[in-house]
Amino acid sequence: MTGLLQNLIDGLGRGSIYALLALGVAVVFGIMHMLNFAHGELITIPGYLTYWAFNNGWTWWTVIPLIIISAVLSSLLIERVAFSRVRGATDFTMLLTSFGVHFIVSAGFLLYVSASVKPIPRPGWFANTVSVGSLNIEVFDLVVIGVTAVVLAGTTWLLQRTMFGLSLRAAASDFDTARLMGVKSDSVIRGAFALSGFLAGIAGVFWIMREGQVTPTAGINPMLQGVLAVLIGGLGSLRGAVLGGLVLGLAEVLLRSWLPLGIQNLTTGFVFLMIALLFIFRPGGLLSVPQVERV
Amino acid sequence: MKLRQLFALLLTLAVIASACGSSSDESDDGGSETTTDEADADTDAAPAAAGLDIDAILAADLSDCAAEPTGDPIKVGMVMDFSEAAGFVDVPGSEVVPYVASLANCAGGIDGRPVEVDVRESGDDPALATQELIDWGAQFFIGPPFADATLPMQQTGGGEYAIFAAASTEPTLADAENNTFLVTFDDNGQSSASAQFALDQGFTRAIIFTEGEGVPYSGVNPDAFKETFIAGGGEIVSEQTYAWFVDTDFSSQVTEIASVADGSEVFFSAAAGFQITALRAQMEGQGLNDITYMGTDAFDATGITADPGGEGFIHTPHVLLEAGSALEKVLDDSGTLASDAPAFMPLYIDSMFLGIQAILDCGCDDPAGIAAAVKAISGFAGTSGSITYAGTNGIPPKAVSVVQVEGGGNVLLETIGG
Repeated sequence: MTGLLQNLIDGLGRGSIYALLALGVAVVFGIMHMLNFAHGELITIPGYLTYWAFNNGWTWWTVIPLIIISAVLSSLLIERVAFSRVRGATDFTMLLTSFGVHFIVSAGFLLYVSASVKPIPRPGWFANTVSVGSLNIEVFDLVVIGVTAVVLAGTTWLLQRTMFGLSLRAAASDFDTARLMGVKSDSVIRGAFALSGFLAGIAGVFWIMREGQVTPTAGINPMLQGVLAVLIGGLGSLRGAVLGGLVLGLAEVLLRSWLPLGIQNLTTGFVFLMIALLFIFRPGGLLSVPQVERV
Repeated sequence: MKLRQLFALLLTLAVIASACGSSSDESDDGGSETTTDEADADTDAAPAAAGLDIDAILAADLSDCAAEPTGDPIKVGMVMDFSEAAGFVDVPGSEVVPYVASLANCAGGIDGRPVEVDVRESGDDPALATQELIDWGAQFFIGPPFADATLPMQQTGGGEYAIFAAASTEPTLADAENNTFLVTFDDNGQSSASAQFALDQGFTRAIIFTEGEGVPYSGVNPDAFKETFIAGGGEIVSEQTYAWFVDTDFSSQVTEIASVADGSEVFFSAAAGFQITALRAQMEGQGLNDITYMGTDAFDATGITADPGGEGFIHTPHVLLEAGSALEKVLDDSGTLASDAPAFMPLYIDSMFLGIQAILDCGCDDPAGIAAAVKAISGFAGTSGSITYAGTNGIPPKAVSVVQVEGGGNVLLETIGG
């Protein structure tokens, strides 16, 4: 029982980061109907800035704002340089564009920075634990879960209670009609990318703390987890994205714990098998949205 | 009118190009004689080295060279992988070898023969890169550390060319029959040495992380450690799996380890440094503070000495660079001392020297003859240690240095084997 509880907390901690990543992917998908495969670069770019900052005497207190701000600016820059050029193009074109951005950013770091692992010091409290009965809970997991809850609450308020949120939801529901109703497309799209970057920045802080390193392809795993979580939760659903992230995190930790030793290294394979089974019974994901085609 | 002007311009360019070509030809033939004459006249010029004198080559001063070698060139082909997978070693490796070749030429060449190095990126098509180098006249190859590139190289060369997988420790990659050679110890060698070291220190309980039995590198190293450790009377108290170079959250593994470990264990894996620093932090968070962490050359490749979390880690690098040595100066001058993997650079340098030694031994220039001579090399004193291929399948039985990270550097604990 103790082991199960421990695994549940570990899984929620991991899943919280995935939820933040997935929400960022889902926000952009809602507006542009594009699965942004360049979303992971919003962690790679701040990751290298973090490496640079620590080599220049910065501390985590100053690095955290750097990561978040650079993720937001990177997201806006990528939108301006790449995605604004293909706005209105087919979904396939936008998908390829996002792949292109990913490869260009990776290649840029590979060629002009280094192919090697660049270590980043983890914060001193990273592996501290608090004991609750027989449980040893990592402070890191508690911080991740707490911060994620606050950020999700803030995002919900932003989307439900502000004019920007109303515009975003309207555009996500029916972009053309929203424009006819006076929603400024440029503003709402940039706002969506800024929000996506902010969420990636928060996730990036925890991801970089946990990884303790950065490489040119550091963004691949967070991007994959974010996209997977969106697919599990249901394309087009913001709540589904969060749910998908949590489910994915829990599934990874619980499967890793439950599988016998000989096949534990197939955990990822079993996760994909479960996703495949999910899509057989619920093709639209856990919280499927009836209409996802752009009109 | 415009056409006429264009024609006149082309004609002028052709005349200039022709003049340059003549000039070049002169320097190739008569020019080199002039250089030699000048060198002869210059009594301060360094004397040319005979045979393969590694010390003389490493000590060569590019501002004070011997007479330019004029014999038939020795041609070294390098097929290098500049991707994230191997770029951390192959990028600096592809810089240090041409630099050392220039030192060799500065020292008068190899018995009067210049050394030429051509580097091609393997990209997605190592076979094409190999074929281009064969067309160029490469006599032997230095290749990347992974079989996905080395096997196409073997096939393209028809198995006749000697290929040195400079940075590889993969035992299955070595294949003397098809002339593919490692330049350093293999995974079995380094991990058996680590297990022997652990036993020598009195450890009887071990925890290992593996990606699965027989999985290249991430599984083979723990396999070898486990076999030697158990054979020496040790016990594996916990065996955990993980994803190599991916996982950094080991919560569930640590929960399992905490239920069986008492803190007296030695931990062994082939994981990257950043993975084990994360694991150690999580283990210490669970109160497991006294475990000794051991790893492979992957620690060296992932900058463990630069990571404050790596203090006290024990691992097996390829070469312990001696401060102030001629070798360190060469790496510094070539710009590779500050690269991501300086301890791997002597393996690249030795790859070139081994090929050259084979050419001298066989007195031949054909790739098959050179490869046959490589197989017979015994006790070659390279920059990375003594290398023997005679009687092996292409894996030199080299000594393994077991070192510990202290204060951002490596301190030698024990040298095993050799």
